[in-house]
Amino acid sequence: MSGDKTSLHRLFQALAQHSDLVAEAYFGGGVEPSEANQRALNQLKQLKVLANHGGQGFRLSARLGQFLDGALNSDRMRRLDTDLGGWVDLLEQQISLYRDAFAEARLDDCDAYLAEIERLAFDLSDTLEENTAYLLMLVNSRFANVRTLSEKKRQNVFYIGRLEKLVGAVSALQPALLLEMADDHEGMQALVERQLVRNLPVHRQRLQDILDILKTFLFQIRQIEARTRRVRGFAFFLRQNPDYAPKDWSEQAQVPTHWNRILGLAFRAHPDTLDRGAEKDLVELARKIKIDGAALLSKKPERRLNGVSLARRPSIRVESPLYRRQIKALFEQARQAPGQGVSALAFRNRHVAEIAAPLWLSCVLGEGIRRKALRQGYDFELIPWASDGFDGNLRVKDLRLVFVNKTHG
Amino acid sequence: MFEPTVKRLLQGEFICEVSAEDCFRWLKQPGNAQTVEDFLKQLGYRLSHSQNQLAFFAAYAEIDAEARAEIRRLFQQFKWELQPVVEWLDLMMQCQRQDAALNPGDTISFSGLLQAIENNQSLADRLQGFARFKDFLSSDDSAKGRLEKLLKTLSNWGYLILTSRDTLVYQVTGKLDYFYQALQFIQENEELPLEQSEDEAQQADLF
Repeated sequence: MSGDKTSLHRLFQALAQHSDLVAEAYFGGGVEPSEANQRALNQLKQLKVLANHGGQGFRLSARLGQFLDGALNSDRMRRLDTDLGGWVDLLEQQISLYRDAFAEARLDDCDAYLAEIERLAFDLSDTLEENTAYLLMLVNSRFANVRTLSEKKRQNVFYIGRLEKLVGAVSALQPALLLEMADDHEGMQALVERQLVRNLPVHRQRLQDILDILKTFLFQIRQIEARTRRVRGFAFFLRQNPDYAPKDWSEQAQVPTHWNRILGLAFRAHPDTLDRGAEKDLVELARKIKIDGAALLSKKPERRLNGVSLARRPSIRVESPLYRRQIKALFEQARQAPGQGVSALAFRNRHVAEIAAPLWLSCVLGEGIRRKALRQGYDFELIPWASDGFDGNLRVKDLRLVFVNKTHG
Repeated sequence: MFEPTVKRLLQGEFICEVSAEDCFRWLKQPGNAQTVEDFLKQLGYRLSHSQNQLAFFAAYAEIDAEARAEIRRLFQQFKWELQPVVEWLDLMMQCQRQDAALNPGDTISFSGLLQAIENNQSLADRLQGFARFKDFLSSDDSAKGRLEKLLKTLSNWGYLILTSRDTLVYQVTGKLDYFYQALQFIQENEELPLEQSEDEAQQADLF
């Protein structure tokens, strides 16, 4: 705020200090630079009080000129919102009057008309420049900043109104006609050419840009309206039909383009340990992984919630271990030859040599006891090693399995 | 930007101005989309975009059995998402007192929403209604807990991104553009009586 105050103070100080130059520019239409006023003119130009007049001269900026017109109740008062097309008509009228005065050698009138023509040309030029640039800036930045549809619509109407005024003014400017009217008057022709005709393509391009943005915006407004209607409609429909599900469009013979999308790939990279250049980085990474690993180990696994489901769990087929399959085969072999003993050790040597003999015999013994208890008709005889005395252990070197072919009821 | 862009696309992500601004802008520059398209073509994919070009994603160049299986899974996911996302969009209009549905780029303030919900029992009831969707079931019974769960799930589904952890401001992603396109597709192809429903809904609002 203090910075703004300082700028304002500096501006008023400059206006007061160089009020003679400002007055000369306002009433005379321009100021020619000299050694005495060059510095002051530059300062006023920096403060946007003056603008280039063409050549080396300076003129009053249009905004300040309009402010002074208003403050002094001048009949030349023209505001930004007035019909710009009317200004063009006025310009053409002033040029005609100048030509008449010139033809009748009324020099004082010529000067007055010329000053008015200059002022009109500058005002028109500045206003078109400022308005087109400002409107372009507005439509570029503000459209996205309002959320409600009604607000967006209001903005659109406002911008279209402004655009229409500017288009009207630019359309009313007939460069060929103005240059023809100013024919034989070099100074005036140069003024019209420099201030209006030369800048017309720039204004037209800006207006075209604004129009393009407004078209896009209009399309967006319509789309937002349609989307909003659709969302509301769907929300209501789904509340009324909670079991609704869309058709399986992915099952169509020709999948509609909209549903064609990839699920995504999972990427995994591996370190190239042969890459010497990356050794340092890999060492760093390895150190970090160790720390992370320790942290992970200390972390308790998350407890899973027990869920209740009515769905049948899928059956899982569990493969029997090798020793169980072979024990089953041994007992089957014994059953096939009732009354004949089958050596467990001989069976092991033939079929399951990879299982250590003591382990195998222990497993067969366990199964033999179980089946005997179930009275399935099996019996077994232990073949012990020669006894070393009474040490409390019975050392077995084989086990003979017998199927007696009778069950006890 | 080629590498991160292609990686995101191959991972099945939507690239939009909100989720990956740099990649999105890069893809918008002339020639870059064609470069990506040429690369994807070699893998059997192509570059696709949503209706308003607010989001890019990868699609299959040709649909074989494997592709169809993936598309089927994505469609099942869409079916899963349809009802809660529509409900959320409708709820947001009510919470924010907007006459327009959310659009990609729009922001949502957690505190603003919570305030609106806590001051309006009807909105609180609608928020509670999300519990009927499995992914929105919150262990916290408060409005805050439910709203957190709602926004978190929508973030997980890719419709929102938390742009400010301090102020809890979320931004709507370009995936919503794709979702709207899907709604339009269903409406047009299944000829659902939505217009009539909407009128009835407006009449219902009067009461």
